[in-house]
Amino acid sequence: MVDFLIGLFLASLIVALFTTRLNGLLLWYAINSLMLGLLALSMGSSIDDDAMILSGVITILMKAIAIPFFLKNISQKFHFSQQIVPKIKVHYAIMLVPVILVFTFYLSEPIVNMIHTHANYMAISISSLFLALLLIMEHSGVVPKVIGFLALENSLFLLGTTATKGMPMLIELGIFFDLLMAIVVINLLFDKEEMRI
Amino acid sequence: MMLTLLLTPALFMFLVSFLRNENAKYLLALSSFAILFPIVDLFTFVKPYAILGTYLVADKLDTYVLLVSSIVGIGVTLALFDLDKHVKVSPKAYRKFYRFFAIFWVGLIFSILSNHMGIYWIGLELATLSTVYMIKTNHTPAAHKEAWNYMIVGAIAVSLILFGIILMYASAKPILGEEAMQFDLLLKHAKEIPSPFLFEIGFAIATIGMFVKMGFFPMNLWLANIERASFYPVAALFSGILESAVIVGFFRFSQIAMEINYNNLFIFVFIYTILTIFIVSFLIFRAKDFMRLFSLSGIEHMALIVLFWVSGSPFAALLHFGAHAFLKPALFLSTGVLESNGKFRIPGALRGYKGKRGKIFLLLVSLFLLAIISLPPSPMFFSELYGFGAMINTAKESNHMLGMIGAVLFLLILLSIIFYRFVAIYQSMKYEGEDQDKKVYAGELFALIIFAISLAALMLPDTLHYLKTII
Repeated sequence: MVDFLIGLFLASLIVALFTTRLNGLLLWYAINSLMLGLLALSMGSSIDDDAMILSGVITILMKAIAIPFFLKNISQKFHFSQQIVPKIKVHYAIMLVPVILVFTFYLSEPIVNMIHTHANYMAISISSLFLALLLIMEHSGVVPKVIGFLALENSLFLLGTTATKGMPMLIELGIFFDLLMAIVVINLLFDKEEMRI
Repeated sequence: MMLTLLLTPALFMFLVSFLRNENAKYLLALSSFAILFPIVDLFTFVKPYAILGTYLVADKLDTYVLLVSSIVGIGVTLALFDLDKHVKVSPKAYRKFYRFFAIFWVGLIFSILSNHMGIYWIGLELATLSTVYMIKTNHTPAAHKEAWNYMIVGAIAVSLILFGIILMYASAKPILGEEAMQFDLLLKHAKEIPSPFLFEIGFAIATIGMFVKMGFFPMNLWLANIERASFYPVAALFSGILESAVIVGFFRFSQIAMEINYNNLFIFVFIYTILTIFIVSFLIFRAKDFMRLFSLSGIEHMALIVLFWVSGSPFAALLHFGAHAFLKPALFLSTGVLESNGKFRIPGALRGYKGKRGKIFLLLVSLFLLAIISLPPSPMFFSELYGFGAMINTAKESNHMLGMIGAVLFLLILLSIIFYRFVAIYQSMKYEGEDQDKKVYAGELFALIIFAISLAALMLPDTLHYLKTII
């Protein structure tokens, strides 16, 4: 089950890289977050960790439902263009993604030997981190960049879950609080009055 | 109790920022002053003093950093009184600035006092996010663009720090369990960490995140552009307070990394900082406006602080840190007056000051400008003497003495380029250009006087003794 969810997590991020519609990007981010939440729920229930189950539930509610809904509302409110063309052409991106994957599997090899966790989990966490950075770089629009940042945050959450079998609960809640704060700031930056410069 | 006392002024400031009353700005300033009292009170407790269990612990280092930051906060508050006389700022933007300043303080208190890697990160992220909106209080397209820029790059930098923290936590979790997040325990058990290589990778990644936030290589210009686009007090906050929170994290992480493998840490940081100073010295040479000049000089000094710290002279690093934290905000705040007749008018910027206020301003800015290039009796002169002394001692003990001494000499050449540029700019400000009337307001002058007194206080024997006993 965990393998399946991690696979879908990575797949949704790769598809997000090739998306050329804003709503599509939001949908793939929501799916990516949903897989992450389900993964935390699945791992939490298998090792009987209540904190991980709770953070899985919060992830689903906040990242898979609330944030995509909020960003969609903002994009409609300010009439953002639906067309988001990545700066890196698709045929180059198709070659770049496997290169990143292979590179990170190679890169994470010495780390994996030290962490005593499933080798692929760590490698996928780190590769999704690089893919999220690629998502930030390949778009010039603000909303795709924000989604890239949120995907980066998802990758770190995955790394925390797989490499350390969950961070302390206090920290997980703090990270969620900071994410909420980020959303408040993003909202203020998009504020209609502020946009009228 | 102490935590409540520390947070109350910030929470009061947050609530008052919603009042639309004209007099609210005095209450906001008062709350900024009030932050100082609980911090001074912290000095009376025996260190380490547990503020919130093992999560928040006040030791000598963080009490000192908090004190410096609160004094900078007071200076910024005083300068804010007269900001509307230099630039166009609406009362609403002013209130919003304080609303986020309050959140910034909460984040800062948590990150500086934390004895926990996770809480440090949460506080730093909160402080970073709150500064995004402060940049936007300047209603210009450039500020709007730079606020987004800061949001994205700042978030990436902070994410790198979290990435590093996760790896460091993973490396120590087998022996310390969930307590592997605590700085004091990590330091105590550093030699027992089962996978030191993993810790070092985590440290390197977190350090790169912190260095990016401070504008080190390869992100040398992003901070300068942001500070150029924001109001002067925001730039002062960045250089005097936010960077302090970042560097405290570096001090904490590096103490543990030094215990694990000092040589690896030293070589990594040494090469990184020299590369940064190499690029920054040439950027300073080409700087054409005060904000960029001071911002780039800030990067140079942060690199020097880091270098002195890892060279085994925490005293030099902390003295340099204190001096920089007072000098740089003072220079940023005086930019409001220096740029009265245009952004790029360096010639004659120190001419045209009349009356008592003008003369005091002229004297203070001249002293600050000469102090920032480490001319005696600036505290920076002494910190650099101690710092370079420590670097040469480290070089003597290393296996690559000649290479290290060569690197130190190269560093001195780079610093002399910066020195030359600053002297040339000072001469141009004082002896070139025309006399054009410039007005100095009471608020900003008081701010500069506070910074001057604080700088002098740094050189008192008691202060120097305190700094020597921190580590």
